[in-house]
Amino acid sequence: MRKLIVHLIDDNDIDIAVNSKLLSLAKIGDEVMVYTSGAQFIENITSHYQQLNESDNIVLLDIMMPGMNGFQTMERFNALDAVMTPAFNIFMLSSSIDRNDIKNAEATPRVLQVLEKPLDVYQLRRLIEGLQ
Amino acid sequence: MSEVKRILYLDDEENNLVAFKALFRRDYEVYTTTSPQEAVQLLNEHRFQVILSDQKMPDISGVEFFELTITDFPDAVRVLVTGYADIEAVIDAINKGGVYRYVTKPWDENDLRICIENAFDKFYSRIELKEKNNALQQANSDLEKFIYSASHDLRAPLVTIKGIIQLAKMDELGDKADGYFQMIEKSVARLDTFVQNIIHYYQNSKEESHIQKVDFHAFIDDLINQYRIYDGADAIVVKKEVVATGDFYADNYRLKIILGNLISNAIKFQDRNKESRELEISVIQNNEKVILKVGDNGIGFNATLLESTNDMLSSDTHKSPGTGVGLYLVREAIRKMGGKIQLVSNTGEHTRFIIEIPNKA
Repeated sequence: MRKLIVHLIDDNDIDIAVNSKLLSLAKIGDEVMVYTSGAQFIENITSHYQQLNESDNIVLLDIMMPGMNGFQTMERFNALDAVMTPAFNIFMLSSSIDRNDIKNAEATPRVLQVLEKPLDVYQLRRLIEGLQ
Repeated sequence: MSEVKRILYLDDEENNLVAFKALFRRDYEVYTTTSPQEAVQLLNEHRFQVILSDQKMPDISGVEFFELTITDFPDAVRVLVTGYADIEAVIDAINKGGVYRYVTKPWDENDLRICIENAFDKFYSRIELKEKNNALQQANSDLEKFIYSASHDLRAPLVTIKGIIQLAKMDELGDKADGYFQMIEKSVARLDTFVQNIIHYYQNSKEESHIQKVDFHAFIDDLINQYRIYDGADAIVVKKEVVATGDFYADNYRLKIILGNLISNAIKFQDRNKESRELEISVIQNNEKVILKVGDNGIGFNATLLESTNDMLSSDTHKSPGTGVGLYLVREAIRKMGGKIQLVSNTGEHTRFIIEIPNKA
């Protein structure tokens, strides 16, 4: 079985702490990588995509972030060379239940779904199982 | 009004202009010209509240002049001056030139004076209306912005707290701590429901809809999952039946408001004296519509709530958020989807709603 890496991108450090702990309690992912900005995430892919693509990658990307928000991060992600991102599955996270966010996310290539915060790890587990 | 009151009068007969000016120069700042070009130039240079124009002129008719200037100077009140009662010209003047009144020549001084006074009144009430309209639109858009940011600003910390509570539950901190966290969780759930209702109320009131394919099995399971933290949710046996022919498409968001509220009501208003507490959801979907039957054996509605519920379900009399806001949201969402809702039973033994929603496939 391939290794599963979960990438958490969120500007709120409490949310990052909570979500990584939730993931580890629910035993989702062999490794959790955290980023406090979309830029860090893009940079990590750009420099380590060969290694990363040896694993399966689940991305949990917060929509509302200062500076580069989730959608702008996705623009950068989708502009990356296709060889860098084949093993990435992307979910966006939103704490508002704004239908425009949902609409925009659906119109964004590579985004599988918007998940409401707080992260429902059981739902996430079902979704990941559905991918395999 | 401290603003200078200006009148522009366009007429090819110089005599009329002179007479007009003599008549009104003490009351208004009067500009007169025989040239339509100069009239346009004057309009560009000054703000006129009232424009008069003769109908019959060599190069252009009065109606044509008004028509020509309506886009650039829509606020000025227009008065057409005609030498004879030409009904065609008058109709055109009103329909195309936005003319307020017409005056026949030779004019009666008093009539003309009253007509012009009225024209100024008309101008100021138009402007006032416009300003009030703008203020209203501004207030509306401020409210929109406020709700948008409040929805996020209020919910973001709330969902963080919810995440921490979930974490605490999974982390097995011991009975005492679990008990405290459970209390926090219930309070947070209530607060969150309230915040979400505000957002739902607002978003539902906007006309836009977002049609998606709906898989009722997963849809209902997800919703029930969402409400599992409600007090007493575990005590309720959910019976779900889906009979589907073809695909169903609808506004997912509004559907969630409808079923979510009915499910949470069934949990909140369960009859704790009953041994078995049930929530039945039956879905019959075909290519035209879906029929949802949602029933429970909870406490039903008490007499007063029943009245207000009936009101909410049948008319617009109850609109204030507060008690019963959930059912109000249900009704409004169904209305926006072009569906129907019926309360078929409310005996205290059984509460049952039947909802019909058209298939947007």
